[in-house]
Amino acid sequence: MADLLTATAVRKDFGGLVAVNDIDFTIPERSIVSLIGPNGAGKTTFFNMLTGVYNPTAGRIVFAGVDVTGKPPHAITELGVGRTFQNIRLFSFMTALENVLVGMHARLTGGIVRSILRTPGLRREERVARDRARELLRFSGLRGRDDELARNLPYGDQRRLEVARALATEPQLLLLDEPTAGMNPQETDAFTGFVSRLRSEQDLSVLLIEHDMRVVMGVSDRVTVLDYGEKIAEGTPKEIQHDERVIEAYLGTGATA
Amino acid sequence: MAREQRATGGGGGRAALLARTTLERLRSRAFLLVAIGLLLFYPSYVDSAQDLELMGEFFPSLNSMVIMIVFTMMAVGLNIVVGYAGLLDLGYVAFYAAGAYTAAWFASLQFEQVTFHFGAVGVSEDLPGIHISIWLVLLLAALFTTVVGIMIGLPTLRLRGDYLAIVTLGFGEIIPQFVRNGDSIAGFDLTHGTFGISPIDSPGFGSTLNDTFGLPESYRQATNAQELFFWTAVVLLLFTVFCSVRLRDSRLGRAWIAIREDETAAAAMGVPLMRTKTWAYALGAFFGGIAGAYYASFKSGAFPADFYFNISIFLLCMVILGGIGSVWGVIVGGMVLGWLNVEGLATIGSKVNEATGIDFEVPKYQFGIYGFIIVLMMLFRPVGLIPERRHQRELEEGVHDEPLYDATHEGN
Amino acid sequence: MLVGLIVVWLLVNFFKDPSEFAAVFLIGLTNGTVYGLVAIGYTLVYGILQLINFAHGDVFALSGLVSFTVLVDWLGVTPADSTAVAVGGILFTLVVVMAVFATVNVTIEFVAYRRLRHAPRLAALITAIGMSFIVQNVGLALYDVDFRSASGLIPRTNVFEIGDVSYTWNKFMVILITVPVLVLLTWFVASTRHGKAMRATAQDRDAAAMLGINVNRTISVTFALAGALAAVGGVLFLTQFNMRYDTGFELGLIAFTAAVLGGIGNLTGAVLGATLIGLIQAFNEGLAWHAPGSDWTRSIVFGILIAILVFRPEGLLGERTPEGA
Repeated sequence: MADLLTATAVRKDFGGLVAVNDIDFTIPERSIVSLIGPNGAGKTTFFNMLTGVYNPTAGRIVFAGVDVTGKPPHAITELGVGRTFQNIRLFSFMTALENVLVGMHARLTGGIVRSILRTPGLRREERVARDRARELLRFSGLRGRDDELARNLPYGDQRRLEVARALATEPQLLLLDEPTAGMNPQETDAFTGFVSRLRSEQDLSVLLIEHDMRVVMGVSDRVTVLDYGEKIAEGTPKEIQHDERVIEAYLGTGATA
Repeated sequence: MAREQRATGGGGGRAALLARTTLERLRSRAFLLVAIGLLLFYPSYVDSAQDLELMGEFFPSLNSMVIMIVFTMMAVGLNIVVGYAGLLDLGYVAFYAAGAYTAAWFASLQFEQVTFHFGAVGVSEDLPGIHISIWLVLLLAALFTTVVGIMIGLPTLRLRGDYLAIVTLGFGEIIPQFVRNGDSIAGFDLTHGTFGISPIDSPGFGSTLNDTFGLPESYRQATNAQELFFWTAVVLLLFTVFCSVRLRDSRLGRAWIAIREDETAAAAMGVPLMRTKTWAYALGAFFGGIAGAYYASFKSGAFPADFYFNISIFLLCMVILGGIGSVWGVIVGGMVLGWLNVEGLATIGSKVNEATGIDFEVPKYQFGIYGFIIVLMMLFRPVGLIPERRHQRELEEGVHDEPLYDATHEGN
Repeated sequence: MLVGLIVVWLLVNFFKDPSEFAAVFLIGLTNGTVYGLVAIGYTLVYGILQLINFAHGDVFALSGLVSFTVLVDWLGVTPADSTAVAVGGILFTLVVVMAVFATVNVTIEFVAYRRLRHAPRLAALITAIGMSFIVQNVGLALYDVDFRSASGLIPRTNVFEIGDVSYTWNKFMVILITVPVLVLLTWFVASTRHGKAMRATAQDRDAAAMLGINVNRTISVTFALAGALAAVGGVLFLTQFNMRYDTGFELGLIAFTAAVLGGIGNLTGAVLGATLIGLIQAFNEGLAWHAPGSDWTRSIVFGILIAILVFRPEGLLGERTPEGA
C-alpha cells in the first residue's frame, strides 16, 4: 500500500459534542489531498488530531507505518508531518531566519555541553543549518527577508514563512490549514503554483484545508468533504463538483439542519 | 532547489552594516572588559574607595561583594527559567537550599558516624564527618540540585503558567520545611533541624592550590582568604554568565524563546515541550546549586532560616529590575539589589535619618521596598532597566500566551 | 490507596478517643469557615480576571489588624464587658472594616492591576506578588511585629455539650456570622444586576462589554466583595487567634489551596475546599495518634495543592473544559 497516512474511524468528542465522527481517511504518497467543508465541519479538529494537538476519542492514525495516535505533536513532527496554522502562529518576535531554524529543531543535534563549548562540529552544524534555512526562505519566495522580524512581514509573506518553517522540519507530509485565507487572487494563484512545486520539487504529500474552490479544484488529486463532523463525500475534484450532498451542504437547502 | 547558488545579499549596504555591527560589538566588548577589570581589581581599591568623602560609604565591603555576587549568580540562573523559557518560578530558593545542604553534608561534621576525607584542604585528618574538597562539592551540589530540579519539573512543567508559578512556590516552601524538620527522619539526623549545619569547610585556598598553580608566598596567608573568596565568586559568576549567553544563542535557546512566544507552534515545529522546559529548569537549578553550595562554604553554615519565600521573590525582583531575559540587565539588577540588601538600605537609611532627624528603620521594610520596585517596574517599565530587545517588544505588544495545546497528554 | 490509609488513620483516631476527635473536628470547622471567607476572595477574582490575587491574604491580615484598632483601641471592648457589648462591638467593627477593605481592595485593583489587564498573565501575577509585599509592609509599619488578638470577648460558654465535647459560643459565633454572609453573597451573585454582570464578565469579558456591561465597574464590584469578605474573615480570625502583619502569607496560601481544591472560580467549591482544608489541618495538628503535627502543616497543604493542580486542576467541583482555558 502506498498510503502515507491512514486514519481509521477517528472520532473526537468535546463534552457531549461530536466534532469529528468516525472518519476514515487516507493520503497516498506524493499526492495532494484537500479537506473541505462548511465552517465548523470539524476540519481543523481533524487536522489537530493528525498533528497530535488533540488526542482522538477513538480511532487510529498511522503515519508512514507508525501508529501515531495520541503521540505528542513534536514526536509526530519528528516522524515527518509538518504543518501551518489557520491563524498564523509564527514566533512573531523572532526573525524569519530564526523561525525557520526553530523548525529544524528536531533535525539538529546541538546539546547543552556542545552549545556551551561551541565545538567545531557544532559551529559547522549551525552554519549548515543557517545556509539551509536561507535556501528554504528563498525557495518560499522570501529572498532578502532573513533578518526581518516575522511580525513585520506583510501578510502573504507571513503565510510563506509558515510554509518555510514547516518545510524546515523536513516533512514527508505537509498539512496546510487554509493557507490562502486573506490572500488576493494574484497571491492565491502564486501560492497554488507553489503547492504544486512542493510536490514536484520536494517530493511531498500535501493535505490542504481550503475554502477557495479554485485552489482546491486546481491542485488536488482527491477531495474529501466534511459536514457536521461526518464525511459526506470523497473523490476527484470533478466528482465532488457534481455531488448532490456536497452541493446541498454548501448551499444549505435546509435539509441538513 | 539550486544549492550551488549561495546567498550573497546586496552589495555596499551590507558591507557598511557589517562594519557598523563589528564596531558595535567591539564597543560592547570593550565595555565588558572594563567592567570585568573593575570588578576583578575591586579588592585593591576597595579600602581607598571607602575612604572617599560622602561616596565612601556606598562602596560595599569585600564580604558584602561576595554575597552580592553569589545572589547575582542565582539571579542569572533564575533568568534562564523565567527569562528565556518564560516559566515563572517562585520557588528558586529550593535550589539554593539544595546546594547549600549538599555542601553541608559533604564538607562538615554533620555525619560524625563516618570519617571520610577526600581532597579537603586545611581540615585536620582525624576530624569526623565527611570532608570532601569544596571544589568537588560544588560539582556535587550542581548535579544534586539539577536532579532536584528535574524531579520538581517533570510532574509540574506541563501546568499552565500561573499554576506552575504556584506549584513552584509550593516546592519552595516544602523543601525548607523538610530541612527544618529533618533532624529526625526515622531517627536519623539529616539536616540538624532549625539549628542548621555549621561549620562547613572552607574551600581551602591553601597549600594544594598554591602548589598546583605556583602562587606566590603572600597568597598563602589566611588574611587574604577574603580576596580569594571574592575572586572565586567572580569567576563562578563569569562562568554562569558565559554558559547562559552561549545557551541563549544555541538551538536550545531558540527553542526556549519559541516556547515562550507560542507553545503550540513550538511543539508543532518539533520542539519537545516537556524536555525543553525541563532543561531550562535543570540548568537554572544547576547554577542555583553551585551558588548555594559556594555561599554555604563562604559563610560556613547552612541554616533553614535562610531559605524562605522572600528570597525567591528577592531573586525574581533582581531579574525584573534588570530586565527579564537580559543577562546584562540581570547582572546589574542583581548587583544593585544585592547591595541594597547587604548594605545599601542600612546606609541609605542612616543617611536619611541623619538628614531628616527621623528614626525610620529602612532595612526592616526591605521586602516592602522590593515589592514596590516590582509593582513600579511591572506598571511602568516591564522590560527592566537594561531590556533584552526581543523581550521588550513582546511585553509591549503581547504574545500568544494562551496555549491551544496544554501538553496535558505529553509523555516524555 | 492513600485515601484508604487516611480513612483508616481517621477511624483509628476516632475510636481511640472520640471526644478528642470531635473537639478537633469542631476546631477544624471553625478554621475552615474563616479560610472559606478568604478563599472566596481568591475564587471571585480568579473567576473574573484569571489572576491569582496574591495580595489577598495580606489584605485579610491587615483587615484583622485594623479591626483590632477599631474594636479594642477605639471602642475599648474588653473581655470584662458584657456579651451584648462585645457582640455589638464586633458587629460595628465588621461593618466598618468591611467598608474600609472593600475600598482598599478596589484601590489595589485600580492602581496595580487595571493597567495590566491586557498584558501577559504572568505580568499581572508578578504585580500581585509585589502588592502582597507592599500590603504586608503596611501592616508591619502600622502594627510592628507584635501579635494582636481579641479572643475572649465572646464567652467560652457552651452552646451544647455531648459527653466531654463542648461547642462554645466563641466558636459558634464564627458560624453565626459567616452563614448569613454567605447566603447574602449567594443572593448577590445569583440575583442582582451586579451579580449577573459579574458572571457574564467571568464567562467572556469581551462579549460582556459588547452587551453593554460596564466591565471596569463589574471588576471593581468583584474586588469590593472580595475585600469585604476578607475583612469578615479578618475580624473573625482576630476573635479566635493571634495575628500579625505576616499572618496573611500562610493563611492566604491555605485559602488559595482551598479555592483550588474546590475548583477555582466556583463559590461553593471554595467553601467546601476551605472546610476540608480546615479539617485536614486540625486533624493533622490535633489528633494524638500518629499525626505529623503542625511542623508539617505547610508541607501537607502544599502537597495537596500540588497534587490537585497536577492531577485534577479543575478541582473537586470544577468542570473539565476541553481547552483548559
